Amino acid sequence: MNIPVLRSDTSRPYTPRVSFFTRKFWTGLSEGRLLTTFCEDCGHLTFPPKAHCPSCWARQVNWRDLRGQGRLYSYTINHVAPRKLRDQAPYAVGIVDLDEDVRVFCRLLDEPTMDDIGSAIQMVAIIHADGPLFAARLTSRISPSANFSVDIR
Amino acid sequence: MPVEPPPAVARKTQKARLTQAAAASENVAIIGYAAAPVGRYQSLRDGEGLLEHELGISVLLDACAAAGIGKEDIDALIVAHPGEHTRQGYFHTFIAHQLGLKADGAVFQVLGNGMTGGNTLDQAAMQIRSGKARIALAFGAHYESAIPTQDHLDYSIRLTGDVDFQSIFGPVPVAWYAMDAVRYQHEYGVGRDISGHIAVKNRAHAALNPRAQFRKPITIEDVLGARPIVEPLGLLEVPARSDGAACLALASEEIARASGRPYVRLKSRGFHHEGVHQMSDRPGDTLAYDPLRIASKAAYGSAGVGAADMDLAQIYAPVTIVEALASEAAGFFERGKGAYAARDGETSLQGRIPINSCGGCLSRGHPPEISPLYDFVEACDQLLGRAGARQVSDARLALVVSELGKFNAALAYVLEGMQ
Repeated sequence: MNIPVLRSDTSRPYTPRVSFFTRKFWTGLSEGRLLTTFCEDCGHLTFPPKAHCPSCWARQVNWRDLRGQGRLYSYTINHVAPRKLRDQAPYAVGIVDLDEDVRVFCRLLDEPTMDDIGSAIQMVAIIHADGPLFAARLTSRISPSANFSVDIR
Repeated sequence: MPVEPPPAVARKTQKARLTQAAAASENVAIIGYAAAPVGRYQSLRDGEGLLEHELGISVLLDACAAAGIGKEDIDALIVAHPGEHTRQGYFHTFIAHQLGLKADGAVFQVLGNGMTGGNTLDQAAMQIRSGKARIALAFGAHYESAIPTQDHLDYSIRLTGDVDFQSIFGPVPVAWYAMDAVRYQHEYGVGRDISGHIAVKNRAHAALNPRAQFRKPITIEDVLGARPIVEPLGLLEVPARSDGAACLALASEEIARASGRPYVRLKSRGFHHEGVHQMSDRPGDTLAYDPLRIASKAAYGSAGVGAADMDLAQIYAPVTIVEALASEAAGFFERGKGAYAARDGETSLQGRIPINSCGGCLSRGHPPEISPLYDFVEACDQLLGRAGARQVSDARLALVVSELGKFNAALAYVLEGMQ
């Protein structure tokens, strides 16, 4: 297990499709692993995982565990929401640059402020009733004793 | 706004020229245009409202009358894909049917996300340039104002993101731009107290535009005090929902010149797509808007002009910060300075480079698929001296920019008024 795992008894608001190829990612996530692919030819690391290399088009890709740590590049707080997220608004989403030099967009479980831009981020897995999602937390807001506890819906 | 039909004499001369076979033409001209006031036309109740093709055809006929052309002159009908919320499907052939329009050039629909309207005009121009058409119409009607917001967002989150890895987190389309606003503030220390003036300036322009949806002046206090939508941006910094219809008639410059009437020349064009859907998979600068840097440089270059030669610019900017960033990428301002321009009056009608003299997406209104057609219409009004109270003095050259995604692609046209 590489990244913290949180549990939620709710279902995911929107469900990602799982393909033959991406099953490895979603299965890994439910075990606390944040996986993606890199190109065996040119080394390009990409997120989300792809069965080909977007840089050189090679089809020999391999999987790699991401450490799940990075920096917050930017964020916004949505006050308007699509139907299934209406009861969660306002909610924060953001762009996270991981230490391995890949960029991820996801939900932020803590509401950032301008001062948090560039701050350390910890990726987490959330095991919902119907499957996993990934999300990000501000490392500074994680209290060691609280064990990542956060209001997850 | 319908334009006065030309005198019968001019029509006759033009008809004589039009009987010649189409030939590949280097220069393309806009010879007539019309657009409905942006607003709310869509109704979900019986016995109310105007249907999209009813409004659209009225505008199309106005544009043809303004150009002095009839159905037999038209070889191509290029239609902006009206989007999910327009009831009538296969809208292009439906319109051709409604008009009894037979065509030997092309009849098709164009989809290019926010750039749809730009691509529509671009493809109509291609029909003229290639000699496939003597007259090509760039047309679109877009309806969405009566669709409930949640339904609208349920659809639009699937457009502006990877549905399995991004859309699931619910980023509404303007959220992507809001993240630029946050980053801009982080990098340059410039917040919405400054960039908010872009909304105030655009509303002041719209107050002078009979085609604009929102014409009541606003203050910076109104902007800053409005309820948050995608923080840090509030209600007056993001677009409302709009319906509209617009049509431009394109011909070779030879036909335009023979008409003896003023026209607008498509002087040059630039395009670039950066191979990214919304957000790169690698860390990097999201504020450079590189596709516009490349596209505008290409357009300036092939016209033999520079940014400083533009008399005005129409920029597809659904939110305030986008106008700032795009005006930097188009070469009007240094990086980090674009947000100050509206506050300092540089982009007002009397400013150094008037931007979005029609009020832009924020105040003219934003029927997304055809907003770029409205931008071309405004540029034509300005370049032909028809902009009334919002006329930019001595307007000869205009930059018209459309984009898609988060400026992942840009289409830049330089237009020149030929009076």
